[in-house]
Amino acid sequence: MATKDKEWISIPMTVDVPYRFAAGGYMTKCLTELRDNGKIFAVECPKCKRVQLPPRVVCAECHVKNEKWVELPHEGTLMNFTIMYLPLTDPTTGKPHEPPFVYGSVRLDGATSVLDHMVEVEPDMDKVWVGMRCRLVLRPKEERIGDLSDIRYIEPLPGQKKPQTKSR
Amino acid sequence: MKRNVAIIGGGQTYHAARRHDVDQAEMVNEAVRAALKDARMTIDEIDLVILGNMEFFEGVHLTDCWLVHGSGAYGKQGVKITTGGTVGATAVCAGAHHVASGLFDKVLCIGFEKQEEGDTGAILSGVANPLWGRSMAGAAVGYFAMMGSSYIANWGATEEHSAMVAVKARQNARKNKYAHLKLDITIEDALNSRMLAWPIRMLDMCPASNGACAMILADEKTAKARSKKPVWIRAMETAHNEQFELDWRDVKTERLIFSKAAAGRLYRKLGVDDPAKYFDVFEIYEPATWAELIWYEDLGLCGPGEGFRLIEQGKTNIDGPIPVNPSGGVLSTNCIGASAMLRVWEAALQIRGDAGEHQVPKDVRRAMTTAYGGTNWTVMTALSKTLED
Repeated sequence: MATKDKEWISIPMTVDVPYRFAAGGYMTKCLTELRDNGKIFAVECPKCKRVQLPPRVVCAECHVKNEKWVELPHEGTLMNFTIMYLPLTDPTTGKPHEPPFVYGSVRLDGATSVLDHMVEVEPDMDKVWVGMRCRLVLRPKEERIGDLSDIRYIEPLPGQKKPQTKSR
Repeated sequence: MKRNVAIIGGGQTYHAARRHDVDQAEMVNEAVRAALKDARMTIDEIDLVILGNMEFFEGVHLTDCWLVHGSGAYGKQGVKITTGGTVGATAVCAGAHHVASGLFDKVLCIGFEKQEEGDTGAILSGVANPLWGRSMAGAAVGYFAMMGSSYIANWGATEEHSAMVAVKARQNARKNKYAHLKLDITIEDALNSRMLAWPIRMLDMCPASNGACAMILADEKTAKARSKKPVWIRAMETAHNEQFELDWRDVKTERLIFSKAAAGRLYRKLGVDDPAKYFDVFEIYEPATWAELIWYEDLGLCGPGEGFRLIEQGKTNIDGPIPVNPSGGVLSTNCIGASAMLRVWEAALQIRGDAGEHQVPKDVRRAMTTAYGGTNWTVMTALSKTLED
């Protein structure tokens, strides 16, 4: 083990690596629909009927090709969330998200999958809960770039109150 | 299995947040020497070396090549394993398959991580899909926080229950001389520790550790000739999960997700009806307190939604009927590439009766371990004292 009275050399280094990822056939269709028409498109498995988002070529469970495209509504239910108190770096921008902030998983109505995103709500346990109804808020069309950030955030549907449940 | 496989030796480093006194090869060599000494072997007797770590955490790739002097692999057959948090257990699983196949008799498996050399949180963002959700990737804490919020909302557990897991782990770690976080903490301490991401507090999460573990596996003939206390690997299982799905973060999911699929297959192989009775000790991979409660349920140690009752009733304490992580677990020591191997090695020590102060105070004949890593996949291992157990 290291002892305080001895010197150990360690050398700092920063490695900056650029990448460019191909979206491929299914994700390109999904992202162009989002960018150009403000629509959320998923795929439905011909066998198990699970509606999968993001859309993918093969149903992982049934090993069959997904060919049916399904437009999803922008409303759904918050399945889980967290109030983050750490200044997490956004790997897509290199900038930190300013804490505290809320993010969680929304299941759009009709989808089997969930979408993880920022929730535009006060970081207050009385203002956010599992089961909360919410909707997607998109960037205005002229600002959309064909990326998941075209969805700005999830926001609660108005007129709801946190139900009194067994949870705290 | 085609041939029986035994663990005939093993060793680990002391695990700590800082190991500037060793480079990666030196640290790995500490564990390798300890394992060879334990097995009363020399490196010349080893047929195959399997080395594992998550090399992108340290940013030095091809560690099987760079560490060849420390691992002892020079000139020998060998493979490299990189499978996320499961690395160490995958190395053991691969090693056991190589012995069971009849191609190798004596295999050295090594897992290590030197987390201080990189930025684990930042690098973990590379585990997320680049086009779907990466903007919020960057640490495991958010994932486990969402799991915790689902658990609380659906099952009615409270933060006190996760605090109980936090306390159990660190109090057990105090009995384990190799553990990293040996903390004499109370439920109050856990509940008062800094909130990181509701409902996860500082003491609900694992540390970033440096350390290595090495194990030597052998065929039955070698094991019986060379080892006084061979520990037998009876079954192994792995399973992947589907991506982009809620799954482990949806405590009410009825899908046969990775954890339940692997456990179910392993139990069928061994004819296990009641795992809580069949196995004498469990070493599970719990990077966060809530994950431990969900493991209880996914492994069938209790019913769905009852995991927090097990911890509440003290059933998984070191002296309880279903001891879980007497070593202190991942919550006390997380040198990622070694963490999953430490589960298997700690379970083997329990069966040998060599765990020292954290030895479970009962006859340990069977043990089960889990690993967790990547974006939800697992390696499970079942061990026994004799081939009749």
